[in-house]
Amino acid sequence: MKKYRRPVQIVILLFIVILGGYAISSAVLGSHDRLETGDKAPSFSLLGIDGRVHQLKEYEGKAMVINFWGSWCKPCVKEMPALQHQWEKWKDKGVVVVGINAGEDQMTVQNFAEGRGVTFPVLLDPDSEAQRDYNISPLPTTFFVSAKGEITSIHQGELDLDTLDSQISQLVKP
Amino acid sequence: MIENTKCECGHQNRVGTVLCEACGKPLIELGEAGGLLEMRYDGAARRSQRANPGIIDLVWNFFSSVKVAVYLIVLTLLGAMLGTIYPQVSTFVNLQNPEEYYKNTYGTLGSIYYQLGLADTYNSWWFILLLVMIGSSLVICSLDRVLPLYKALSKQKIKKHMEFLTRQRVVYQGQVEGSAEEWIQRAAPVIKKKGYRVHTEGTALLAEKQRFSRWGPYVIHIGLIIFLLAVLFRGMPGLHMDEYVSFPEGEIKRIPGTTFYLKNEQFTVKYYTEQELPKEFQNKGKLVAKLFQTKAVLYECTSNCNDPSKTPQLKEVTRHDIEVNKPLDYKGLVAYQYDFDLTPKLRSVQPVLVNKVTGEEYGKFKLDMMNPQRSFTLGPYTLELKNKFMDFMLNDDGEPTSKSPNPNAPAFLFLVKGPDLPKDGAQYLYFPKQVDKERFQQDLINEKLGGVEKKLELDVKHMTDVDFSKASSYLNIRMDRAMPFVWTGLAIVMLGLVLGFYWTHRRIWLRIDDGQLTLGGHTTKNFFGLRREVVAILKTMGIEVDEKSLDNGRNKG
Repeated sequence: MKKYRRPVQIVILLFIVILGGYAISSAVLGSHDRLETGDKAPSFSLLGIDGRVHQLKEYEGKAMVINFWGSWCKPCVKEMPALQHQWEKWKDKGVVVVGINAGEDQMTVQNFAEGRGVTFPVLLDPDSEAQRDYNISPLPTTFFVSAKGEITSIHQGELDLDTLDSQISQLVKP
Repeated sequence: MIENTKCECGHQNRVGTVLCEACGKPLIELGEAGGLLEMRYDGAARRSQRANPGIIDLVWNFFSSVKVAVYLIVLTLLGAMLGTIYPQVSTFVNLQNPEEYYKNTYGTLGSIYYQLGLADTYNSWWFILLLVMIGSSLVICSLDRVLPLYKALSKQKIKKHMEFLTRQRVVYQGQVEGSAEEWIQRAAPVIKKKGYRVHTEGTALLAEKQRFSRWGPYVIHIGLIIFLLAVLFRGMPGLHMDEYVSFPEGEIKRIPGTTFYLKNEQFTVKYYTEQELPKEFQNKGKLVAKLFQTKAVLYECTSNCNDPSKTPQLKEVTRHDIEVNKPLDYKGLVAYQYDFDLTPKLRSVQPVLVNKVTGEEYGKFKLDMMNPQRSFTLGPYTLELKNKFMDFMLNDDGEPTSKSPNPNAPAFLFLVKGPDLPKDGAQYLYFPKQVDKERFQQDLINEKLGGVEKKLELDVKHMTDVDFSKASSYLNIRMDRAMPFVWTGLAIVMLGLVLGFYWTHRRIWLRIDDGQLTLGGHTTKNFFGLRREVVAILKTMGIEVDEKSLDNGRNKG
């Protein structure tokens, strides 16, 4: 029997396994539009009110609390002090709090942050790019992201200090 | 099990060979003995047929089976039917909670449907798996058959076994006079005239035409594989996009996920007049749209595209008036008219500063709603913008705040410095919209803030100094980079169909043994046509036969 057939068969079967595996895995992993816990946090590159561009990857290796908010949204405004408090408590323990504003301009956001004493990084999203990638509908929405970049929990609506604290403690737990 | 695969003509055949590769003698009887021959793949063994199959062979043989392929196709069809019971999630533009939606709309069945994942049937792992298996089956089935067939057809023996000839569907046997070689030499040009390629060997002859039509099915398979690959990989990042974006008139807005920007220069909506409407619609107060049009300009970013701290450099690439069914199309990026919103949106005002005592006017300065300039110098006065509220309201604590991010009731808080004002300046709140001035009592607020309203006033003199976008146009931005491959695949399928449908592979074998002529004829389809050709050929050679008597099959008689 001719010997060259076996390698050809193996190559074709390998191709099928690789291509088919890719197609199936991307269908299983990528089909849902909404982010779910366990997904990787989508990357972003946004201008902060400090005038610098902030990217997700600069926080690599740190646990993150990503909060989407707007100055007109009452629960967002109410939870700001809790977020600020937690930022001060955890910032030296490898936790970053990032606020992403939903589409307002620099002046509004800056005034708001200064007025409320917010010192954690606040980023602007004028073209709704991050809101789209994170599939934001109601505000506020808060994502808890592990140091590995995995979303561990998604919270829609106002957060109080205690929930925030327990969520963050879980996040940094080894 | 060792099968004896050596033919009596001395040719060593491969396992699974039905008709001897050399002389055509039947080696395996698939039908009844002595009946019509099974001519599929010219009797060649499929590549994968082996005496001792290993694991790889077993997998290979599984996909090589046409029976398996048919089951796979049936299963896929059944699966695809499941996806047509209720609407699929992918057909909704903005469905926030699909689980609840299915439950509320279709009841318990809907809930089960969603739980089973059937709301997204065509992206489910099992459906994709079935498609992948069909694809594998296509590749392996084709390879296993086309190569042996190609070999069998490219090295055909001219003189075939007697049984091979007499068991074809078109058979003629009769006596011929004179030298056999001479008869064959005489017959060759006659058959050639019918468009056959003729090969002779002593007292045997093989005539063949339109062999290429045999490749039709395999060409179809190649097309299907390209089609299937395109469909499976359509969802790969960068290949597919389906977004709904609003474009306010006069603004350049980025198309998310791309380096393209689109400007809606003007949006128009026109309605039919009463007279133009059909009778049933008249005087019912119905508005029927005649035209939605977005005058769009598409820009491509050339530099500073991914740095939000810099202004991107844009280059106009195309412009188009988008109407329903007339999308803007630029290199596969397509923008369809989808919806619109006629709510006007204030963009900027250009007020002047008026000294109420002397009547002097200073400026005209531009106050943008988004990212306004922070300070203005107007004559002897300086205005420093301290804060702004897009949708002004006073909260429970009496503090000014914004109700929404939309400029419905914009208000600007300035610190004004200049002659006759306190050294540190005085605060002044300005509502550009007249209705807000009255609603929120601008003068009363300013009186409390420091009394600037008695000395100074901001005033918009002309409507031309007000800039607003009259409408927002919602466009459906689509990109489907896999489509050219889908079309290519389908074109190849069509080519294969044409090859297989409009041409038939016909062969005629002749041999003369001791003055007896035996003729066998085979065609992939249209035996009627082949019989007619054979009758015509025999007639030219001086043999009159009835067309029907040539039929070796069921239609004999």
